[in-house]
Formats: sequence, C-alpha cells, structure tokens
Amino acid sequence: MSLLQRGTHEAIHFPASASRLPILAAASLLLLVAMTAGLTWGGVHLSFRDLWTGAGEPGEIARRIAALRLPRVALAALVGACLALAGAAMQALLKNPLADPFLLGTSGGAATGAAIASLAGASPLVSPGAAFAGAVGSSLAVAALARRGGRLDLHRLLLSGLIANAFFSAVLLGIFSVASSQAARTMLFWMMGSLADASLARIAALLPYATLGGAVLLLSAARLNLFAVGEENAAALGVDTERSKRLVFLAASLLTGAAVAFAGVIGFVGLLVPHAARAAAGNDQRILLPVSALSGAALLVAADALSRTAFAPAELPIGAVTAAVGAPLFAWLLLKTP
Amino acid sequence: MLEARALSASYGATPALAGLDAQVPSGAIVALLGENGSGKSTLLKLIARIFRPDAGELLLDGRPLSQYPRRETARRIAYVPQSAELVFPIRSLDLVLQGRAPHNSGFATDAPSDRGLALEAMRSCDVEALASRDASTLSGGEKRRVFLARALAQEAEIWLLDEPTSGLDPRHRLEFLETLSRVHRERKTTVLFVTHEIDLAATLSDRVILLRGGKALAQGSPSEAITAETLARAFDVETRVEVDSTGRRHFVPVAPVGVPDRVVRT
Repeated sequence: MSLLQRGTHEAIHFPASASRLPILAAASLLLLVAMTAGLTWGGVHLSFRDLWTGAGEPGEIARRIAALRLPRVALAALVGACLALAGAAMQALLKNPLADPFLLGTSGGAATGAAIASLAGASPLVSPGAAFAGAVGSSLAVAALARRGGRLDLHRLLLSGLIANAFFSAVLLGIFSVASSQAARTMLFWMMGSLADASLARIAALLPYATLGGAVLLLSAARLNLFAVGEENAAALGVDTERSKRLVFLAASLLTGAAVAFAGVIGFVGLLVPHAARAAAGNDQRILLPVSALSGAALLVAADALSRTAFAPAELPIGAVTAAVGAPLFAWLLLKTP
Repeated sequence: MLEARALSASYGATPALAGLDAQVPSGAIVALLGENGSGKSTLLKLIARIFRPDAGELLLDGRPLSQYPRRETARRIAYVPQSAELVFPIRSLDLVLQGRAPHNSGFATDAPSDRGLALEAMRSCDVEALASRDASTLSGGEKRRVFLARALAQEAEIWLLDEPTSGLDPRHRLEFLETLSRVHRERKTTVLFVTHEIDLAATLSDRVILLRGGKALAQGSPSEAITAETLARAFDVETRVEVDSTGRRHFVPVAPVGVPDRVVRT
C-alpha cells in the first residue's frame, strides 16, 4: 500500500462543506427579511399582517401598494446581486481584497457609456450594451495604467481607479450641463444611483444580462479558488489563465454594466458585501459567490427601504446610503491591508 | 524525460533565458545552480506553464509541452513555489486539496478520496497538525511544507522545487530532504530543484545543470558539472574544494574572481 492510499477515514474530521447549506439558508433568509421590509416600509407604512392575511379593504390596499413597490424591490435585489457578485469575483481574480466595480472605475465607465447612449436616443434595451462597453473600456484603461513590469500593482490599481472616476465624473457633468433640460435629476441618477424608475419591463431587460454574467462567474468559482492564491498558482494547476481572466473580467463587466444601466452608479456594494460574506462563509468561491449575490441583494433592498423611509416623503439617493456605510469600511480595510 | 531546446524567455525587455539546451532524465534528481538572475526560476515556471517561452521548445517525452492539454501537464508536473503571499484566508488542508484540482472535473477539490490523499500527504510532511489552521498565518517553513504536501497530493511524476531549503531551520531542512528522498525512492519522482547550496546540489542530485546568463554553462553528473573551474565561471568566485573523511566533496567559496582588493579569507 503506497504512502498516500491509506487513511481516507480521517477525512471525517475535516468536512469540506458541512457549513455550506446553513450559510446559504441564512443569506436567503436575510434577503427574505430585507424584501419584506422593502415591501412594507416607505412613505406609507404597511403592516405585515395586512399584507399577507388582511381581509377586506385594508388588506386590499396593502397588497396594491406592495404590488407597486414590488418592481422596485426586485430591481434593487437584482442590482445588488450583480454588483456584489462582480466585486467578489474580481477580488478573487486579482487576489486583491480592494477590488470593487465602483472603486476601480468600472461603474463610472458604464454610467458614461449608458448616459451617452440614452442621450443619443437609444432604447433602454440597448443601454446595458452601451454600459457594458463603457465598463470594459474603463477596466482595460485602468488595468493598462496599473500594470507595472507585467503585473497589476495594487496601489497603482487604486490610483488608476481614482483617475478613471474623476475623468468619468467630469465627462458626465459635461454631457448633462450642455445637453439636457432635466440635467440635474438625470445626473443624480447616473452619479448617485436610483431605483425610482423601476418597472417590470426594466427588470425583464436586466434579467438576461444578469443571468448570463452570473452563470459565467458561478461556473468559474472553482477556478477562482486557484486564482485567490495567485495567478501563477492557477496556471501551475492547469488553468488556462489568460482565457479565464478574460472570461471572468467580461462577465464581471457585464454584471456591472447591466446594474449601472438600470440603477446608475451605486458604490461600495461590491466591496462591502464580499467582505462580510467572506467573514461568515470563508473564502471558498463556490460558497462565497452565491452568498455574496444573496447578501448583495439583501443589502441593496434594505438600503433602498431606508432611503425611502429615513426622510419620507423625500428620498435619499441610494448611492449616498451605500457610500455612508461603505466609505468607513473601505478606510478600515485600507488600514488593515499590508 | 524533459528536454529544453534553444529555449528563450524574457520579462518584457529583460532576457531571462537565452537559448538554453538542457535535459532532465526521468526519475533523476536534477539541481539547477547559478547566480541570481541566471534563469533558474524562469526555467521552472516555463516547465510549469506559468509563462510561455519566446522561442525554442520544451519537450516532455519527446512531445512539445504546449501540445499537451494544460490539465494533463498539471497532473504530471507539480510546482512548489519559493514563497506564496496569501492575501485571503485559506485553511491549510484546502491549500493542499488544490493539488487535486487538475485531477477533477471543473477543478473541484472536495471528493472524500481527495481529502484522504491530502491528509496523508500532510502527515508525510509533518503538517497534519496544521490542517485546519489558516495557511496565511503560517511561518515560511511551515508554508513550504504545506506546499510540499500539496505536490505530494497532486501525485505528479515530476516535481519542480524553487529553492526548497531556503529559510528552513536545520531540523526541518533535514526532514524536508528526507521526505523528498523517500518520495523520490518510492515513486521514482523526477525532481528538478533550484538551489544556491552547492554542497546540496553535489550530494543530493544525479545531475546538475549550471546556468549563467540564461544558458547552460555545464551539465552532467555532479562530479563533471561542479568543479572549481565551472564554479568560477558560473559565479565569479574562487572556490576551495575540500574532501571529507567519507569522500564527500565540499565547496567553500573563498574569494570573488578578479576583485583582488575585496578578497575574503575564511
């Protein structure tokens, strides 16, 4: 018997996936709670009982209001899932805990692409495509800026993201100050994000992009585990790294582009959520990615509910809510990163 | 049999290998010796398919390495890096389990049989007690042995080790070399290792490849390839060769060649 063929029974002490199901269930529950809050909170507060079991007029009214809110809650969930998934996958791919579609300028590029398309009179169905093109273009530029001696340098990457964000903000400001009579409101939409225009049609337009991008990333999870130790590590273990990098990068850009096209730029979700999920679920991407998607959905639904209720009837921009939570966390992460 | 033919590679504008011809016979322990920047680590990374050569060929059993599916070469060739900066937490056992990735569909790593192999490999390398520890918190030497366990779990027939003994304390160095010799004996593993320890190259290996400027300056059995004369050409140092009572040769670098005012006497 060879050195390595003994002792499979020891495996019992080290179960690989024992905690997978409870964590997925917990994240799903979190999303359910957030969605309930999203449906009941708002300018008019609905009681949970009226909504589910209410008979007669109160129940009827509660259900009608909830039905009006449902597209918005669903859009928030989808957008949150897209951003968190994109952030989690990019963090593993780049072996960099600070990777985030917003910080790296991907969202800014997407917003610029979508804004240009919408100003040119393109249909909303096309705008995710334009946002995707903007996201890819921006990411390529940022990566090229950050490359030094054949590898991506962490500090240069963040600085390049900063440059890209400043540039895209300027472009967006420029476009709207000359082009649109409704400039201020539209600009706020692209730069701070908004879910106010949610509709079933928009959700239906977002869904195919989100499904495609999400499926590619979830199917890449085992490869991303090898990338999380390093690109050389993945290559030495048989991964075609160039092909995987392109695929993951394009899928993450697609998710970011789709999210931005329908909800504008919402920062920090892609940073905040994977970190919290990693603390709870560990860094196995096969668990981390779905948990991130579910928690990202929950976070954005909750943040949206908060933005509608905190100063009702006035509404806070959703990006302001996520940034208020995300910026301090980012500062803490930056201090912690060697 | 691994063979390099006129192999060239570079990092951007910096050449690393410049037309290297070298052979690594199956089942042999082969040492790669040479000064810093002579192309040793680059050769390992080309064989591990981490980089692609600019020109020339790498042949595995007479067939170009690039013609093999990547997963097949990853099943046959294990690479143990000199160090690995771990940014994210990862349980040592999961790191060792990554060695099973090229064997499984979709690079999955958690079949029960894989866990058995991984734990057995960790026991062999004296790191079983670290199995549930976060590998990013381990010392350099512990991490090295975890990566060695991973190469063991990978069940590869060729091992590429980048400076495997650097940074190990004497006890773990000896244990590491014992493990290496045992695995080599039991499995007829081909071992290609980079080292700066001339004595180690001379005693452990069947064959030595001495590199300088990305080319093989000498290669053959240790007694052929390592002499005071070849060492002087490879490292620009004058080396004293001492033979101990067991007949073993020891190499003591005594002075830089051609820098008489900086002569160091030992």
